[in-house]
Amino acid sequence: MSAVPELLSPSVPWWDLEWLPRLPQRVVEWIVQFLGLPEWLAQIAGMAVAAFTVVGVFAGAFALLSLIERKTLARVQNRLGPNRVGPCGILQPVADGIKMLTKEDIVPARAEWFLHLLAPVLIVVPAILALGVIPYGKSWTPVPLELGLLFFFAVGAMTELSIFMAGWASVSKFPMLGAMRAISQMVSYELPLMLAALGVVMVSGTMSLPEIVAQQGGFHLGFIPAWNLFTPWGLVAGVVFFIACIAEANRCPFDLPEGESEIVAGHMTEYSGFKYALFFMGEYLGLFAISGLGITLFLGGWQAPLPGLGFVPSWCWFFAKLSAVIFVFLWIRATFPRVRIDQLMRFAWLCLIPVSLLTLPAAALWHHAGRGFSGWALTLPLLAIPWLILTVTFNKRMAPQTRRFHYADS
Amino acid sequence: MILYLPILLLILLSALGAVWLAKPVHAALCMALSLALTAVLYLALGAHFIGLVQFMVYVGAVAVLIVFALLMTRRGEESSEISARPRSWALGLACAFPAAAMLVTAAIQGAALPKSPPSEPQVSLSDLGRLLFTDYAPAVLVVALVLTAVLIGAALFAREPQKDTLR
Repeated sequence: MSAVPELLSPSVPWWDLEWLPRLPQRVVEWIVQFLGLPEWLAQIAGMAVAAFTVVGVFAGAFALLSLIERKTLARVQNRLGPNRVGPCGILQPVADGIKMLTKEDIVPARAEWFLHLLAPVLIVVPAILALGVIPYGKSWTPVPLELGLLFFFAVGAMTELSIFMAGWASVSKFPMLGAMRAISQMVSYELPLMLAALGVVMVSGTMSLPEIVAQQGGFHLGFIPAWNLFTPWGLVAGVVFFIACIAEANRCPFDLPEGESEIVAGHMTEYSGFKYALFFMGEYLGLFAISGLGITLFLGGWQAPLPGLGFVPSWCWFFAKLSAVIFVFLWIRATFPRVRIDQLMRFAWLCLIPVSLLTLPAAALWHHAGRGFSGWALTLPLLAIPWLILTVTFNKRMAPQTRRFHYADS
Repeated sequence: MILYLPILLLILLSALGAVWLAKPVHAALCMALSLALTAVLYLALGAHFIGLVQFMVYVGAVAVLIVFALLMTRRGEESSEISARPRSWALGLACAFPAAAMLVTAAIQGAALPKSPPSEPQVSLSDLGRLLFTDYAPAVLVVALVLTAVLIGAALFAREPQKDTLR
């Protein structure tokens, strides 16, 4: 693929905050050029450093999130959370890392050792690949691909297979059950995820993620950002996308593949030590990647939320939005109970897929009927009426019945 | 050219693995490898769209295939290994021969490949989409129908036989 990050223009001063994330790449390229080494070496070295920047940033974010998640959950549940290692427990991720690295690596005697080894590796790789195509800032897209969105979903297809490998290669009951659950869940929720993303492709007319973000610049009425979320089809598709994200990332309340109270830890049951840590890391990197995609598609990527805030470096906005989205994930995890598998499947096939299919004609109408008032007038009833019908029927037949428990009559 | 040979060799090897390995899951994983390598070949040849679609559709589909393979073979633990019998050999040959004959005749009758590389065609994504939904719409619909029929058939096979001995 002809996705070589361009050599950086020397006209930008090195202290420009906008270019801060690419400073390591520039420094390495300068060094190589200073030593008089050939151009291709400078390019390769720059690409390697750019890749390391992304991996480094998100590995750090993973460590930080593992602490913040525990702290947030503790706050919601009125506990203190980790508070022993370092001041307020901030060194907890380091302690966790050392623990994971020094633990014994156990492979079950009857396991297929090769697939057992391959699975945790293959779960981290697609997550890192997917992180590579997301535009983090105005001038920071690690790999600006023409077909970025397609690439994202294509590498995502590998995740299901590696989770299955983990479950099957362990030759054990709980991992197998977890893997079967994971496949059925991910296949079902991939459909609404892609259908929701398709509306954005239809309206922007491109699959290039930087281009999709660029089209969401500007403001309506002077203060409403022109993000895809603030259109009728975008609102519906965004909500569908978010729900499907939770399921794709195996987060609570859709964390059935690894539901502790039912099947120990699902596909990770027979893993220990660093391999278990790799699964953990793959899951969190996947969460970052899919949240980043959602921000790119619906929340305007690196665009500032209000006019006059353009002086803040664009990548700061991206990471601010990422933190906000991740916090909502944590909040949901702390609030919702885990659903049952039949509820999960029914919700995907009877609610999310029809609703996400509806967003496609709505997006087409929005594209052809003008994007202003006439677009709203045409697409809003198209989405609102089926939504009302769906929710009313759902509440009649599908919703859990209201049960009232009273003290026994004495 | 030298670059493509190892990829081609690996594709062939993993395809052979998909045919020869005894456990259905191993065979399916080999097939996934073979299909993924084909996608790599497409990407290396510069056909980015088709390469990514190949990867997304087929590697993702293999996961579903595995689920059905397991559902259909897990009934008796000992039957989860497929053994080749003479009858299945004959059936396989009978199916493979017409397909091979068709391919060979097409290859012989087809026009010779141009000696010099042709100029790079300019095909945009929207051109591809338009063709799929106009000229090739019947073919797409037929394929969709066949796939649906296959899925329903697989689900019927995988269903537990309705015996009321337990009730």
